[in-house]
Amino acid sequence: MEFFERFAVPHPSPAIYASMVAIALTSIAIVIGLTYFKKWGYLWREWLTTVDHKKIGIMYMISALLMLFRGGADVLMMRAQTAVPENTLLDAQHYNEIFTTHGVVMIIFMAMAFIIALMNFVIPLQIGARDVAFPRLNALSFWLYFMGAMLLNISFVIGGSPSSGWTSYFPLAGNELSQSVGTNYYMLSLQISGLGTLITGINFIVTILKMRAPGMTLMKMPMFSWAGLITNVIIVFAFPVLTVALAMGTMDRLFATNFFTTTNGGMDMLWANLFWVWGHPEVYILILPAFGIYSEIIPTFSRRNLYGYNTMVISMVVISLLSFLVWVHHFFTMGQGALVNSIFSITTMAIAVPTGIKIFNWLFTMWKGKIQFTVPMLYALGFIPIFTIGGVTGVMLGMASADYQYHNTMFLVAHFHLVIIPGVVFAMLAGLTYWWPKMFGFMLNERIGKWAFWFIAGGTCLAFFPMFISGLDGQARRMYTYSEATGFGIWNMLSFIGAIGLAIGFVLIVYNIYYSTRYASRNIGDDPWDARSLEWATHNPVPEYNFAITPQVNSRQAFWDAKKKGHKLFKGGYKEIHMPNNSGVPFIMAVFFFIFGFGFVFSMWITVIASLIGIIACLIHRSFEKDHGYHISAEELKKSEVELRGAK
Amino acid sequence: MKELFPAKHVMGFVFSLILTGVALVVYFMDMSFTAGMTVLLITAFAQATLQVVLFMHAGESTDKGSIYVSVIYGIVIAIFTVLGTLLAMIWGYV
Amino acid sequence: MNINKTQPLEYSTEQGRLNILGFWIFIGAEVMLFATLFASYFTLFDRTGNGPSGSEIFEITPVLIETLLLLTSSFTIGLGVHAMRIGNKQAMMSFFIVTLVLGAAFLGVEIYEFVHYVNVGAGLQVSAFTSILLTTLGTHGLHVTFGLFWGIMILMQVKKRGLTPQTANKSFIFSLYWHFLDVVWIFIFSFVYLKGMM
Repeated sequence: MEFFERFAVPHPSPAIYASMVAIALTSIAIVIGLTYFKKWGYLWREWLTTVDHKKIGIMYMISALLMLFRGGADVLMMRAQTAVPENTLLDAQHYNEIFTTHGVVMIIFMAMAFIIALMNFVIPLQIGARDVAFPRLNALSFWLYFMGAMLLNISFVIGGSPSSGWTSYFPLAGNELSQSVGTNYYMLSLQISGLGTLITGINFIVTILKMRAPGMTLMKMPMFSWAGLITNVIIVFAFPVLTVALAMGTMDRLFATNFFTTTNGGMDMLWANLFWVWGHPEVYILILPAFGIYSEIIPTFSRRNLYGYNTMVISMVVISLLSFLVWVHHFFTMGQGALVNSIFSITTMAIAVPTGIKIFNWLFTMWKGKIQFTVPMLYALGFIPIFTIGGVTGVMLGMASADYQYHNTMFLVAHFHLVIIPGVVFAMLAGLTYWWPKMFGFMLNERIGKWAFWFIAGGTCLAFFPMFISGLDGQARRMYTYSEATGFGIWNMLSFIGAIGLAIGFVLIVYNIYYSTRYASRNIGDDPWDARSLEWATHNPVPEYNFAITPQVNSRQAFWDAKKKGHKLFKGGYKEIHMPNNSGVPFIMAVFFFIFGFGFVFSMWITVIASLIGIIACLIHRSFEKDHGYHISAEELKKSEVELRGAK
Repeated sequence: MKELFPAKHVMGFVFSLILTGVALVVYFMDMSFTAGMTVLLITAFAQATLQVVLFMHAGESTDKGSIYVSVIYGIVIAIFTVLGTLLAMIWGYV
Repeated sequence: MNINKTQPLEYSTEQGRLNILGFWIFIGAEVMLFATLFASYFTLFDRTGNGPSGSEIFEITPVLIETLLLLTSSFTIGLGVHAMRIGNKQAMMSFFIVTLVLGAAFLGVEIYEFVHYVNVGAGLQVSAFTSILLTTLGTHGLHVTFGLFWGIMILMQVKKRGLTPQTANKSFIFSLYWHFLDVVWIFIFSFVYLKGMM
């Protein structure tokens, strides 16, 4: 029994026992369901072994939505706990665990997955490519991310959740103050999914640089693909920093090294420094794809070309460099001198300039346009004012001397949520609605979608505006309760109501997916939005080879010009297409990584070594494998194209 | 035999040995910290450039633009990270 | 498959060109990985706690041997790639084997060096300085170890399958990796050892 004691949850509560039962029942239901409907083979052939960027994108999206609900459940518990003063719904430790997992899940496993989902699905189509440069690695990226996410998500039923904040500052995250294995979970799950993200970064840079359709020079590339390129550049140069920081943190916890300790020369603030060297670029990794999505949606529904294409590109390149130069603004109050704070204050304010340029470009795109108020456009329109409020309060926080007042208060919490929610969440929901017909061949219901939008936009404002006030009044973040005399009660109650509004909005989105799946028309053609870029030039749903004939591009709005000016996109006849084979190795390798991570969390070294051997075996297998893919002949292609056209 | 040892590679190797020898000066001679660091910075970056350009053939393919941008971008960000970390962690307290 | 005869074998297929560019971008990421280690090393350099400082434990002889071994191995793998390009499979394999032997010798000296550090009281857990020193060196050492096994895999494939676009591509990418490890070592040599002993 002693062996199993390590898996016990240190702070059990009825909610955790209920979750254990729920997880067990769901797993059993899935297994029984798959067996009963004989879907194991289908699952393995079509999904677990797929290397198709579209399917991988969809799997990323489903995982991101699941994580959104996991993180959302955390939110409701947190806001319910703080809704009234001196509430006892949760105790302090449980509250700590919940805000920690909320942050980690939402940033790493929801937002990152969502942007990678859309990049996966859209970018190869948008640049007219057959797939990404390394389809096999793409599958590996997804499965590493997925296993990392699962590793963190089992923490609260096996061994205990991390509880030192999503930033996991030392010495709080060290062994003395975080005795459960929770922080080990944090370190290992981020390490594994971070490896997947790094591979994605390399994959997409090569894809975008080398696999664009003939005629599509870099400066003719659609803006979402540009945003994808810059995002992945930031990923490639930022994630190794996290890798090192996490490795050092893990060693401190498991091997008693002295990097971030408070004895033997260790330096706890070095963790904060390294974390934010990665963490600030990470913010731009999240926001740039969102900017790209808005740059697709706004021209489409304003019926105008994007205003200021060149400045859009330049501002993103500038952002990508500046994003690496501002990180110290996350710890202005550490105690360093005025010179350091001034330098990072200035770079922080400088980064607002390219962002402002982009806002004006979107406004000028809409200027004199014929705006259609579709759901994606509503999100874009809601984004601009809310994001601007979040952004300018960020500039306030960026003033080092004033930051001493705002630091670690609810003001900060309001700021970053008002940047990330309209920036990332609105953009992802807009992108989801916008590209949904390309993914599944039908449109989401507009009326339910608009209801959802108003609940989400209204809920966001109601949930976070009051925090500016309570924050300036001195309410610290991450406190599980407060006394009535502080007067914070009313603001927190408003936040709670706003959070419920957000929850209703997300439930409506799920209902919309259900409703549209059942009732929406399948007869929508290939281009239901009358859009402008190449992904709309192929069939609905997209065939596995994307384009039967590689498109030839000669303008920025390639598909729009093809429709309006009669440029011919597809020249020549069908030619044989080379496709990559499916493979189970990425999935199996990721399972080994999961076991590796789990063994590491509990210091079970035999498990670690065994899974490491498994990982190496997968690498050797890949090295020796002769995999030349398969070919789709011109006749097969012709047959499938006729069928797809007939389906319309 | 001679065709297996192209002059360019042999010269590169000799040059890298010389650079290593020059760097050793900081160990064998008594010099100030600034002078020593200057020597080390010059020899290390010269040595790295030699490897990247000569042995790694960075500039031989049509992708040389992407390759150089990627490497230089990495070095620039790396230098900012090292200097910024030192600024925030050590130098910034005076 | 489209094979372009005008280019060296490793560049002759589209996938081969993608692989090479992808690996260069990976090297960019590795630059950041080691930069983070260096940033941490410089930050923690003076924080020796009760343990020894760098100048007390560094020895010039093993460091010089390691440097010469790695520099030479970088030279020989460059010759290996050159031999591959003139189509001399036997010479290419010999140069790669010499490279791997030099790499193994390097690792041997490094292991001696680590044992020495532990013996003089500079183990991993002693102080922030020793933690970061051994982690930085160890990360490089792990890369070399991984490279040894990777190189053996590639040699086996070249021996079995000959110089094909695939094996040539793998060998070339391996040579990039190996040269890069040499570059990292140059920085370790200069800014960990020489700066520490200055």
